[in-house]
Amino acid sequence: MRAPSDRKVSRRRLLGIVGGALVLGASAVAVVRTRGYSVPADRRLVAFSPWQFIVAQHAARRIVAPDRPGDAAIPAADDLDVAGFVDAWVARMDGRVRRDLGRFLGYLEHAAPIGAGFATRFSRLAPTEQDEVLASLESSSSDLLRAGFDGLRSLVFMGYYRDPTTWAIVGYDGPLVNRPAGGWR
Amino acid sequence: MTGAILRGRELSGDVDLEVDAVVIGTGAGGSVALRELARAGLNAVALEEGPWSTAADFDQREDHMLPRLFQDMGGRATEDMGIRVLQGRGVGGSTVHNTNLCKRTPEPILDLWARSHGVSGAGVADLAPSFDSIELDLAVSEIPAAARNANNEILRAGCEALGWKGGPLKHNRVGCQQSGFCELGCAYDAKQNALKVMVPQAVAAGARVYADVEALRLEHDGQRVTGVRAVARGAGGDVVASVNVRARVVVLAASAVGSAALARRSGVPDPYGKLGRGLRVHPGGVVAGRFDRAVEGWRGIPQSYECTEHLSYEPGSDRRVWIVPAFAHPIGAAASTPGFGAAHMSAMRAYPTLAVLTAMVHDETSGEVLVGDDGRPVLRYAMSDADRGQLALGLAACARLLLAAGATEVSIPAIPSRRVASLAELDALDLSFVRPHAVPLTAVHPMGTMRMGDDPRASVVSSTGEHHQLRGLFVSDGSLFPTSLGGPPQISIYAFALHLAPHVVARARG
Repeated sequence: MRAPSDRKVSRRRLLGIVGGALVLGASAVAVVRTRGYSVPADRRLVAFSPWQFIVAQHAARRIVAPDRPGDAAIPAADDLDVAGFVDAWVARMDGRVRRDLGRFLGYLEHAAPIGAGFATRFSRLAPTEQDEVLASLESSSSDLLRAGFDGLRSLVFMGYYRDPTTWAIVGYDGPLVNRPAGGWR
Repeated sequence: MTGAILRGRELSGDVDLEVDAVVIGTGAGGSVALRELARAGLNAVALEEGPWSTAADFDQREDHMLPRLFQDMGGRATEDMGIRVLQGRGVGGSTVHNTNLCKRTPEPILDLWARSHGVSGAGVADLAPSFDSIELDLAVSEIPAAARNANNEILRAGCEALGWKGGPLKHNRVGCQQSGFCELGCAYDAKQNALKVMVPQAVAAGARVYADVEALRLEHDGQRVTGVRAVARGAGGDVVASVNVRARVVVLAASAVGSAALARRSGVPDPYGKLGRGLRVHPGGVVAGRFDRAVEGWRGIPQSYECTEHLSYEPGSDRRVWIVPAFAHPIGAAASTPGFGAAHMSAMRAYPTLAVLTAMVHDETSGEVLVGDDGRPVLRYAMSDADRGQLALGLAACARLLLAAGATEVSIPAIPSRRVASLAELDALDLSFVRPHAVPLTAVHPMGTMRMGDDPRASVVSSTGEHHQLRGLFVSDGSLFPTSLGGPPQISIYAFALHLAPHVVARARG
């Protein structure tokens, strides 16, 4: 495998050419490239299709990646089923939002890696490569792509920081209502 | 009629009503209109899209309260997703989640409306009785210095150090526990808001409120309004019953977004193309200052002090910024902290030592509320260059205040974040990057989409609040305001609703 930097062929130029139009193109690609994704049999999805869930799950792992790897006090995204939370949350949102998020996940999976210089689906990239893809979206010249990433990011943070086990990380002592005798921590 | 609050989700069959007046929305404006109709002995009902909550429902959890208290589960945004727009839903509307700030409509704003927008009968003296009455109802008082939390104290200290104008704010709380969870509904029932005060008074006077009932369409014949067609929804959003109301008077009080969208969806006459236009939102950005001590801004009353150094009400002024504290709980804080992954989590560890201020622009950008293919509101708002400049001015002022108050580092959320540790660095900072999408922006005060005025060619409703073309259709929310206010709108909305209520009552009497 080549180093990521070797694969960054005219990244800026490519991004400039494709721009926001890729969102629509990626949506079309996503429609035909949705096979090969599987979720555990006991996973009941309510809004996402399996491929959308897998992409959201990979993104969530990176968006709330720990700053102190190995620290047992920091739950991982999968520990809190952040992608499952996002799926359930999105199911309650109106159809327009569900459609837009679905399109963005398609873009993230199939087009964003190309824009970042990778020829592999997002969900099949190494974590550090996934970080590069997410960073490219966060700093994209396209307002649409940045907004899409910010929307996904916000949902993931909601799924993560909703859980009392994460509050100690940020020094928050949690709600007063229903607070356990020993505190939320 | 016996007053009551009914949950639409519990309706066992379709509802068909014939009443004197129906009010759509139960926030500051709708609750007052409903109360005044009921007190006048009229048969009045209100339809509220959201649920009926009580203090026992407010568990101080962001993930639980966002879907319960906010439109689109807290995810409403402008069409281009550049500005998040937080709006309430449920009995009490936005007064349930707001931070209880109470300021009267500034005199220069009222003068401007009279002078330039053809609003009559709404001068300071005209409105004073309504303001007095509302402030009495809501037990408005100045927030004592002893109740000022560390975040607000930092703003005060910054103002004092710079010699800038600032001062304590007024609020409508009684029995406040200073828990700091105001924006998630008050678990202690200390907020003297529409949910606790106005709606119960309306019900006591005989009004009925139907929660969980969404108005789909205003019924009219092009010259007069005849009623409302609505549906009751279950907890999952499924339609459980139809609700049809025939009435001589319909009062739109569903916010500057909801009211305008419903009117547009209903084909309300709009011969001069004014309906839905003129949207103002008070867009605001935040700046975080890091201190070498605990701030823990989530504790205590969130907003008790303001900075008005850069706030002028003159049209076209180059000082149109209102600054107040804006601390968020962890989910909100995470969303407004740029980045992701390890760097983001590392930044979040500073949470207890941060003080956060927001600069809200007294905006002159003219946005629009449209209706999407799915019938839902679309907020089109392209911030003007002048307002972008004001936003940059405001963010710089926030940074200056924080540094003056002793912050060791100040951060303007952006990609990448702009961090400065001294006034010299701040002065050298190029703020031309500041615009929607480049910095996270939030708006909580939509206004101006069905503006009032005596000239039908320049306004949607008259100075009585009645639609120029559609007899019996009134507006009683922030849609009325011809310009933005430059401050919290709730007291203005309550007071205008009371001020205009005699016209609503007279029309409803037939």
